[in-house]
Parts: sequence; C-alpha cells; structure tokens
Amino acid sequence: MIAIVGMLAVLVAAGSSLALIVRGLRAMRDPEGPTAPLKLPVYGIVGGAVVAMAALEVGLLTDDFSIEYISNNSATTTPFLFKLASGWAALEGSILLWGLVLAMYVYTVYRQVARRSQGDRLGAGAMFVLGIITLFFFGLMLTVSNPFRVCVEPGMVGCFEASNWPWSASLASLEGRGPNPLLQNHILMAVHPPMLYLGYVGMAVPFAFAMSALMLGGSGTEWLKRTRAWTLIAWGFLTLGIVLGGLWSYEVLGWGGYWAWDPVENASFLPWLVATAFIHSAVVQERRDMLQAWNFVLVIATFALTILGTFLTRSGVIVSVHSFTQSAIGPVLLWFLMIVLVASFGLFAVRAHLVASSPRLDSLASREGAFLFNNLLLTVFALVVLVGTLYPMFVEAFSGDQVGVGRPFFDRMAIPLSYGLLLAMGLGPITPYRSARGSVVWQRVKTPVRLALGATALAVVLSYRNPFLLLGVLTATFAIFVILRNLYHSAKTSGAKLGLALPAATLRIMRNDAGYWGGQISHFGVAVLALGIAISANLGVESEVVLRPGETATVAGYDITFNGQFTRQEAHRLVIGADVEIARDGRVIGAEQPRINRYEISDMSVATPAVDESITGDLYLSLRNVTPENVTIEVLWFPYIWLVWVGGFIAGLAVLWSRLVSRPARRASPVLEGAADER
Amino acid sequence: MNADLRSIGGWVITIALAGVVIAGFVLGDPTPEDRVATLGAAIKCPVCQGEAIIDSPSETASAMMELLEEKVAAGETDQQIVAFFQSRFGDGIYLDPPFQGKTVVVWLTPVAAIAGGLWLISRRRRRPESLPVEQS
Repeated sequence: MIAIVGMLAVLVAAGSSLALIVRGLRAMRDPEGPTAPLKLPVYGIVGGAVVAMAALEVGLLTDDFSIEYISNNSATTTPFLFKLASGWAALEGSILLWGLVLAMYVYTVYRQVARRSQGDRLGAGAMFVLGIITLFFFGLMLTVSNPFRVCVEPGMVGCFEASNWPWSASLASLEGRGPNPLLQNHILMAVHPPMLYLGYVGMAVPFAFAMSALMLGGSGTEWLKRTRAWTLIAWGFLTLGIVLGGLWSYEVLGWGGYWAWDPVENASFLPWLVATAFIHSAVVQERRDMLQAWNFVLVIATFALTILGTFLTRSGVIVSVHSFTQSAIGPVLLWFLMIVLVASFGLFAVRAHLVASSPRLDSLASREGAFLFNNLLLTVFALVVLVGTLYPMFVEAFSGDQVGVGRPFFDRMAIPLSYGLLLAMGLGPITPYRSARGSVVWQRVKTPVRLALGATALAVVLSYRNPFLLLGVLTATFAIFVILRNLYHSAKTSGAKLGLALPAATLRIMRNDAGYWGGQISHFGVAVLALGIAISANLGVESEVVLRPGETATVAGYDITFNGQFTRQEAHRLVIGADVEIARDGRVIGAEQPRINRYEISDMSVATPAVDESITGDLYLSLRNVTPENVTIEVLWFPYIWLVWVGGFIAGLAVLWSRLVSRPARRASPVLEGAADER
Repeated sequence: MNADLRSIGGWVITIALAGVVIAGFVLGDPTPEDRVATLGAAIKCPVCQGEAIIDSPSETASAMMELLEEKVAAGETDQQIVAFFQSRFGDGIYLDPPFQGKTVVVWLTPVAAIAGGLWLISRRRRRPESLPVEQS
C-alpha cells in the first residue's frame, strides 16, 4: 500500500517535471503567454515529492518491512528519531531527499516568477531548466534508485530480493537490518544531511537562471541579482552542513579529528569553494560590470560539482573503483554529469560572443584586483582538491595501479592557500574600487597589522614557535582586526556626524549596508575558524594510555583515572564503557564515560568518544580496547577547538544578516555616504 | 611635530613586533620532529575508508602503528619505512604523493593553474580599452 502511494507520488512528480519542461520552454519562447500554466506542474512536483517522502517516513515509523529500503535500513528496535533519519540515511532515501529539497526550491522560484508581470522570459527559462533537473532526479527514483521497491524474498533479517513494481506480491521480513551503526550514534546525523542538501541543491537555482540567461542572449546582471538570495542561502546551508559534518565526525567517529580530507568530505568542500568564488565575483559584475563570462563558468562549475559530489558519495566509487560498476546509479549520475557539462559549456560557447564585454581593470591595486586574487586562490584551491580526490581513482580505474593522495598532500597545499585567502580577506574589503593608493590602504590596515603582529609576538614570547601556528595566528588575527577596526571607525565617524552613541551608530551602519556587513560577519567567522584550526591542530596533544582499574595517567596536565568498566544492554545495542575521572591540580573536575557501542544486528562496533569541554579546550577520550584487566584509551587534548565550531556557525549564519535585515527607515544621509567611502 | 613623533613611534613598534615574529620563525624549534606522528598520518590504513593509521581505531592500524614505532626506534629512515609498507601493501598505502612518476600531475596542476591565472589577470589589466574584446 505504502509502496503504491509512494510510487504514484514519484510518478506524479516526474510527470509534472515533464510538463514543467514543456510549459517552461513555451513560456520562455512566447513572452506574451500567461505564466499561470506553470502553476500546475510546480504543484505536482511539490505535492509528489512531499507525499513520496511522507510515505517513506510512514513506512519507516510503522516498520513496514515489505519495502526493501525499510527492511534493509531500519529495525523495530531503532529509536524514533533514527527511524525518521533513516528516510535519508541510505542511497535511495537520500535521492528522495534531493528531490524533495529540489521541489521546494522550484516552488520558491515559481513564487518569484509568478509575482512578476507577464513576459518574464528569464524566469520561465529557469523553470524549464529546473524541470529538466527534477525530471532527472525523479526519473532516478523510478528506475535505478527506487526507494519503494517491494521485497519479494525476505531473509530472517532484511530483504534479499526486491521488485521494482509496487504491485508485486510482497513479503516482509520479521526484522529489519537497522541503519548503519555509524549513522545511528548521534543526533547530528538527523541534521547534517538535510543541511548539506539544502546547500547542494540550492546551487541549481543560480545555475538554472544562468542557463536561461545564456539561452536568451547572455548579457546583463539580471540573472545574478534575481538569484542572489538563493545563492547566499544555499551557501549558508552548505557552510553549516560542512561544519556540522565536521562536528559529527568529531563527536561520533572517535578518531580524534574533524576533517580528514577523505573523498566524501572533499565532495562537499568542492562546491563550497567554487560557490564562494562565485559569490565574490558576482559582486564584481554587479558593481563594475566585469567578469561576466567568468561568472557563467563559476556557476556551471558549482552545479556540476554538486552532481559530481552526489556521484562520488552515492555511487560506491570511493570505497573502490571496482564496486562502482555494481551500483546502478553510479553510471547514470556520471552520464548526467557529462550531459550537464557538455550542454552548459556548449551553450556557453555558442553564446559567448553575446556575453557583454567587460571593462578592464584600472589597476590591480583595487577592490576588483583583490576579488580577482580571491577568485584565483579559491579556484586553485578547488582544483587542488579536485585533482587530489579524482586522480587516484583515475589511475586505479585505467591502469589498476594505486597511488596515494591524502592528508599530507592536501595539508601542504591548503595551508599556504588559506594564509593567502586570509590576507586577501583582510585587505580586499577595505581597498577602494578602481584604484587604491598604498597610503590609503596602509592607513586602514596599520593598526590591525600592529595588533596582529602583537598577538603573534605574544605567542612567540610564550614560546610557541611552530611556524604554521604563527602564520595562522598572524593572518587570522589580521583579518579579524581589520574587520573590527573598519566597523569601529565607520561607526565612530557616522556616529559623530549623526550624534549617535557608538552602539546605535554601529547597528545603523550595519543595517544600512546589510549585504556588505553580512559578508564581513561571514569573514569574521571564517577567520575565527581558521584561528581555531591553527591552534587546535598545532598545539594539540595525543596520547594512548592503558589503565588498570584505579590507575591514573597524566595527559596535557590532566590526571585521568580509570575507575572501572560497565556493560549495559540497550534495545538495539550493547554498550561497553569505562568510568573515568578527570582531575587537574589535584581537584576533580569531571567524570566521563567513553563507550563502545556494539550493534548486534549489523555485527559492528562503534566507539563513542567522551569529550570534556572547557573554554581552554576539549579533553577528548576515545575507548580503543577493553579487556577484563584493563582498558586502552586514546586521550587527545584540543586547545580552543570551540573556535572552529563557533567560527563556522558565524560564517554560515551571517547570510541571515544580509538577507533578513532591512535598512533603517531614514534615507542614508550624505554623511553616511561619506563614511561608506571607507569601503 | 607631535604627530611626527607618534608616527615614528608607531613604526618603531611595528618593526620591533615584526622582528620578534621573524625571530620566532627563524629560531623556532621545528617542534620535536615527531616522525611517528608524521609518518602515521601519511600511511593509509588498508582496511579503513580514507583513514590514516594514526587515526584509525582498527586492529590492523594499531598493529601497523606499533610496527612503525619499532622501525623509527630502530633508526630506519623515512624512505626505508615507507618502502617497507609499500612493498607489503602497494604504492597507494603512502598518502603523500612523491614528486615523480605518476603523481607529478597532482603537484604540477596547481602550479600551472596559479601561473595561468596570474597571466590572465595581468593580461586583463594591461590591455587598452580600444582593442577588440576577448573573453577569458
């Protein structure tokens, strides 16, 4: 029953996508026609996607093991929240979530198009392109990634053989396999994927408008202005999704870190890098009419990288290039990626001569020049990650040889690029457009330079001499101090002229140019994050201790006492843990229980680290081994790691400032315009 | 004159702070070169997904870490240790690609991209506005 409802809903969504393609194309070619015909297909897509997701969730919550997906990814003993999250925790469900998020974006775009008067050819063209993308994803659900396949040969646990046709006589197993233990260990698993997908999928909107603009001639900044909200919001979600992914890895995987440069992480980081470049170069086009062609390239690349990311994480190609052929969805996604690349770059090439010419740079020492360097650094960064991720797969696929490209390589490349980005982040936003005199820029950075040098000198005096740490502190604090000085200076100037107190003046200028200051808040967050990485990565301590009951080990100034082990049987897992007491300078400051969770259904153990958090850092305990006599605990000390999370959240949430804050009621006075010159 | 003095004072402070920072870089002990940590982060755990042996809790990785510690203690060079692990587990075990053979590509691509990008940027600047426009 649920399978039939779900399947029908997917069919409705796919059929509506087809209708959207036809009607969108017609509306684009015939600007006199009404836009109303788009309404029905859009509602069909949204309705179909919502009903399909709801059907899957109902099936999961009612333990309907006659559906293969549910039988293999949920169990009666799975806790409520993780049953819900199982709706997107495995391949087919995650594609359904992709489709649902895409449907929601299609709806918001439609709302914008419908609000406009007739003849919105750009919007209609974008709907046409979005229709193609929705058709592809709902098509996947009807074929190679069907979440509603019914089980025809159940096992004792889980389902062995399933049929694509929902009316097949279905048989249910008594128990399901349950979710992947790694994915049912922490609440973040319920939040991280939807965030990431809201970011990933949102990039389809600027892409669709860009394609529409190219079909219609390719010039102008309308497509950029109209998609600005989506680009920023998608970027914000992507940022939060990546940070939450890091937090999940830190809290759950227990290997003692948050970023390992593994292909799954890189797959989410790649579109982020290019989307970040796009957000910046879009500003240059809007303000100075430059980089028109480049913006098309960036937006196509961003979208293509989201498809590539979906391919990398969903095809099984990462585990091994050999398992890739076993997954039916892999080749299909790869083909779609090829079609996207060929079609969009082909269209771009055909229309390139129509893309309006852009004025040249007046001087490299200018805001535009800084934006260009920012774009250079970000795209090279993306290229490094792309090549480092894909090259080993290519070599293995074509020659069978294995080459290793991992953390040492990425770190070596990413660290200097990050220093460069932090410098550009400090210098760019206070450099005037067109042409900047050195004296003007120096006037604006001399205090931040001195403060940053002071902070770094302090680190040297405190005998922290690691060059990576020092450069990180220098560049990150420089970027932070430039932003703070800029805000203080602008607020003081305009406050003095308007007779406002400093806090009121600060709020006023930040509201007056919410776009600029939203960006600065985001920069502040990124710089704080960078500072957190530099400190926690370079000053961390790692140690593995073996303790018998009652024994104490000292790591990073903390006395860690093992008081005994315990075992606890829960409905879906067996928990083995160690009672640990933490003391510092003879004073007990906490008790922690690092655990190993054993999931019987899937015969897999997952360590759950215990993290003792404080302002100065995290003491991180990961249980590695338990024997009747002793326990092995990996102890890590991460100083100031909260800077990473806080900085990341500030960076992602800053888009809210740009989008939600409205200007102060009164028109900006000439005085404020004068203050705005500072930027 | 007062302003001059302040400006000179500012410069003195700036240069003094920069001096301390540079001294920190030059004198900085390159942190007690923990070869085990560096090598452990560069050797892949063969039974895990994209984890280095220093990060993985698996038994295989722990055993390899012990082996690594023994070899470092025995005074083997980094090259000898890497070669040993590569002979047992294949070239792909070492995550730090050498600047030779098949992996030259991953090193040269970013360098080429930076050079190409800088060239494009400089070209955009020099060109007078009267010349026919070309896209890049």
